[in-house]
Amino acid sequence: MAEGFVAALPSAGSTAVQEASPAERQQEIVMKLEEKVALTLDQLGIRDPASVQRLFAEVREALLAERQQLVAGGAADEADRIRLAKALRDRWLGRKNGLLSFIGEHWLKPAERDLKPSVGRAFNELRQLAAELEVERLAAQIPIRAPHKAAESPEAGRPISAPAPDLSLPGYRRPLGSIHPITRVQREIEEIFLGLGYRIETGPEIESTYYNFDALNIPESHPSRDDVDTFYLDARTVLRTHTSPVQIRAMQKFGAPLYIIIPGTCYRRDNPDATHSPMFHQMEGLAIDEDITFADLKGTLDYFAKRLLGERTRTRLTPSFFPFTEPSGELAVSCFLCEGKGCRTCKQSGWIELGGCGMVHPEVLRAGGIDPDRYSGWAFGMGIDRFAMTKYDIGDIQLFFQSDVRFLEQF
Amino acid sequence: MKISLNWLSEFVNLPADPRELGAVLPSLGLGVESMASVGDDCVLDLEVTTNRPDCLSHYGVARELAAYYQTQLRPPRAEVHESGEPAASAVSIEIADPELCARYCGRVVKNVRIEPSPAWLAARLEAVGVRPINNVADVTNYVLMELGHPLHAFDFDRIAGRRIIVRRALAGEGLRTLDGVDRKLDPANLVIADETRPVALAGVMGGAASEISAGTRHVLLESAWFEPTSVRRTAKMHGLHTEASHRFERGADIEMAPVALNRAAALIAEIAGGEVLSGIVDVYLRPLVRGALTLRASEIHRLLGTDAAEGDVERILRSLGFAVQSETPGRWQVSPPSFRLDVSREVDLVEELARHLGYDRLPSRVRPAPPRLEHDELRTKELALFELLVALGYRQIIAPAMLDPAECTRFTDRPAVIISNPLSQEASAMRTTAVPSMLHALRWNLDRGQEDLRLFEVGKTYTRPARAGDLAEERRVLTLGLSGHRRPASVHDTARALDFFDLKGDLEALFQVFDLEALEFKAGGCSYYDARLSGRYEHGAGLLVIFGQLGEGCAREYKLRRPVWLAEIDLESLLGRPLRTPRFRSFPRYPVVVRDFALVVPDSIAYQQIAAAIEQQQVPEIRSFRPVDLFRGGSLDHGCYGLLIRVCFQSEVKTLTNDEIDQFGRRILSALHPLGIRLRHQG
Repeated sequence: MAEGFVAALPSAGSTAVQEASPAERQQEIVMKLEEKVALTLDQLGIRDPASVQRLFAEVREALLAERQQLVAGGAADEADRIRLAKALRDRWLGRKNGLLSFIGEHWLKPAERDLKPSVGRAFNELRQLAAELEVERLAAQIPIRAPHKAAESPEAGRPISAPAPDLSLPGYRRPLGSIHPITRVQREIEEIFLGLGYRIETGPEIESTYYNFDALNIPESHPSRDDVDTFYLDARTVLRTHTSPVQIRAMQKFGAPLYIIIPGTCYRRDNPDATHSPMFHQMEGLAIDEDITFADLKGTLDYFAKRLLGERTRTRLTPSFFPFTEPSGELAVSCFLCEGKGCRTCKQSGWIELGGCGMVHPEVLRAGGIDPDRYSGWAFGMGIDRFAMTKYDIGDIQLFFQSDVRFLEQF
Repeated sequence: MKISLNWLSEFVNLPADPRELGAVLPSLGLGVESMASVGDDCVLDLEVTTNRPDCLSHYGVARELAAYYQTQLRPPRAEVHESGEPAASAVSIEIADPELCARYCGRVVKNVRIEPSPAWLAARLEAVGVRPINNVADVTNYVLMELGHPLHAFDFDRIAGRRIIVRRALAGEGLRTLDGVDRKLDPANLVIADETRPVALAGVMGGAASEISAGTRHVLLESAWFEPTSVRRTAKMHGLHTEASHRFERGADIEMAPVALNRAAALIAEIAGGEVLSGIVDVYLRPLVRGALTLRASEIHRLLGTDAAEGDVERILRSLGFAVQSETPGRWQVSPPSFRLDVSREVDLVEELARHLGYDRLPSRVRPAPPRLEHDELRTKELALFELLVALGYRQIIAPAMLDPAECTRFTDRPAVIISNPLSQEASAMRTTAVPSMLHALRWNLDRGQEDLRLFEVGKTYTRPARAGDLAEERRVLTLGLSGHRRPASVHDTARALDFFDLKGDLEALFQVFDLEALEFKAGGCSYYDARLSGRYEHGAGLLVIFGQLGEGCAREYKLRRPVWLAEIDLESLLGRPLRTPRFRSFPRYPVVVRDFALVVPDSIAYQQIAAAIEQQQVPEIRSFRPVDLFRGGSLDHGCYGLLIRVCFQSEVKTLTNDEIDQFGRRILSALHPLGIRLRHQG
């Protein structure tokens, strides 16, 4: 049997195993063209004028390519020139086996009545183009030189009558995907803090009441612990209502100093509407070190806001209350659209609320195993979804979670 | 909390332009939600944080402003003209549960005339959103808004036995409250009872039977202090939220009880006539004892990053009602007032200073974290993953993690984490699989005429822990969902439907990025995939990817009107892989020879077997090979298919001769021979 295989190799004169030189790959395309011209348009599945045009365009391209290749390839001598030119002419215009006669026989003749005019037109154009494959004229264009040398210019061999492609057609685009706006905003924020040397920490979404409440100095009687507001799995397990439990986990894991940001999914028992979603996303920042003061909180958040929204952004910190920080503050930034003059986005106030912040409460540090007399820290938390809504002018938080492509493709 | 500026100006001098308060109050922590003109008055709606019940009153807000403007705070008048018998002989008050009621003060006012309030009083109440009822009830509300202490007025003739007992409700007891609702009481509820029955839900709402009415002659005024948690629980249990419960829940001022009582008695005597019996019946069983706090200048500096002048420290704290004693320079003993239950630590005092020094006037600095060597590799990988998926045309979705547990069991038997208080059955479990989420997303879009879909989700699945008390297992998964065409139709090419190999190709690209190209493909997905058009990849011990066309049954259940393709990828395993680390290998100087092998392959042989057979030859000169054409029919025998394989030969050390290439070709063919594969043009 091995003998048989030997016989099949090109050295033994077979074409079954081919050394696919560029010229031969070209031949492969012609082969395919030859297969095509053996079939009718109907068999090819071509049933409308546009497809007819495309098909003939393909044929024209093949003709031009072959011709160009012939010219570019050059010839060894005058006899070679004539032989090559003749071969090409015969392939296309040969009376019996020329491609054109096949096309006339198989494509034009049996074409459906409504398709016939367009096939006829295209066929005529093709015939005109092919008519230029005159042996002498063709041969004259083939330079005599070493066959592998390229033509001086690709333009040289192009027939004048070849229709220029319509370059005003839109490009052939590969559809690109898109990143969800929440992820985009999250990444933007991450980049800013990564630039300050912070690290990213994450934690579980299904969390114990200890980490979600107790360790954060949220007393048993605090309203946020109500089962009206918090999803409970059992008496001691909740869907975390904020990313703050990761503060404690990170303190316990790394100790001080600690500079982290915590992005993550959180849950609150809000009925879904335009501004509420039971699932939402938060970003939290935490810095604990010796010598961290309120000045670091102010300065870092001001820097953050300017990086996020532009250098001209101003920040405003007003006192607030959270059980896990003391002193606590509310961070607002000057509206990035109207720069504080008042517009729809900032509800005419000139300010946009960004999130809550404060100096980490000593009890929280203690719960994290950090000595509050030696270390101090600041923390900051903001809603990613909320901010994305403001930034991209999205009026309905539900849009984030519907996966509607008409929404996603805008980002 | 609505604040009338006219009312406020009784206690503190206000700036000429009230708009100034719109900036000053927020800087003190009192957010201004709105500001509206009402006649000659201006009414602010303040947002008061839960720790500051003392600011749920005009007087409390005035105190903050007086401290801010460094001006006088004027307390309201509360001189009571008493007459007649001592109140103590007219009424007896007993606190049976001192845990829940620390203080109860009562006064009796006799022979009042119940009528509508005078216009000035009604107008003030209306300005702050309280509906006037009658003069006595209005006075209690007026004092509530003024001093922040909730009061209650009983029709004294309706108090059986002229006795007040503060106790827990007995099982089976009921009370019709002022809103006309008959309520079943629970022993957890603290009530005000007379000799026979409850007459009020303590700190929440009075009873209808003892309500002040046109016929009321004598009034018993209550001013008490109830335990916050108990009031909160009772209010919640009965679905009531009142001005009184709002304040008691947050912690009322126990020392304000008699002051507010006197203020109310004086006002009632003034506008409803009547005689105020002498003395307050004041049952104060659990006096508030609070120690002094030490405040150190060093701590102020440590937390605020700046020094506060000693004079400022003392002035600010005193004007806010704190008693301040200087111990040594830079060290004080500070006693918080009774209305500031939120202040219990040194740091709380520092906050008071920060507020009144002004957050905007405190220093600011940016300091980056200390440099560290470690690099966030996980993030780098995630970014690479997202970048690839976007380049491949996938759009990221974020899907809700809560699903119907029954829906999850359709796809997996992993036990779900069940939410005990879900918003709906459809969102009552944390999902154990991301497949339903992706199917919902695909359907949402298909139903809206969006047909060319490539979606991806990076999310979690959640599995109930084996042992109660352990954390649930949260596992990150990557899910792909596809439908429609490879590329949309254009003049350049006809649109072609997506198929199995589009998805497989995308997965192969993913493997390339994570250096997993040697993964072995196994045909067949799992139950909900089309058995003929699905497969899997395993890595190490686990399943890395399962993918394919969604099975018909499942597609019908989800009402998917087009074929859809899914891939589930175990992201934890994938991200556990290193990214491909490029290393340059110089390309051989010797030419590449490309040869095509037109093979006739029995239907029973898969490409995977062919590839394995060629690879097994371990011919280094075979640089690469790939299938470039596959066809059936024509001159091919039934039961066979034609496969064109393109092989690139190249040596690193020499130019290959035709003979050598023929030899390699023969090795390939002889390796394929046992599989029943032969060359096409050969018998």
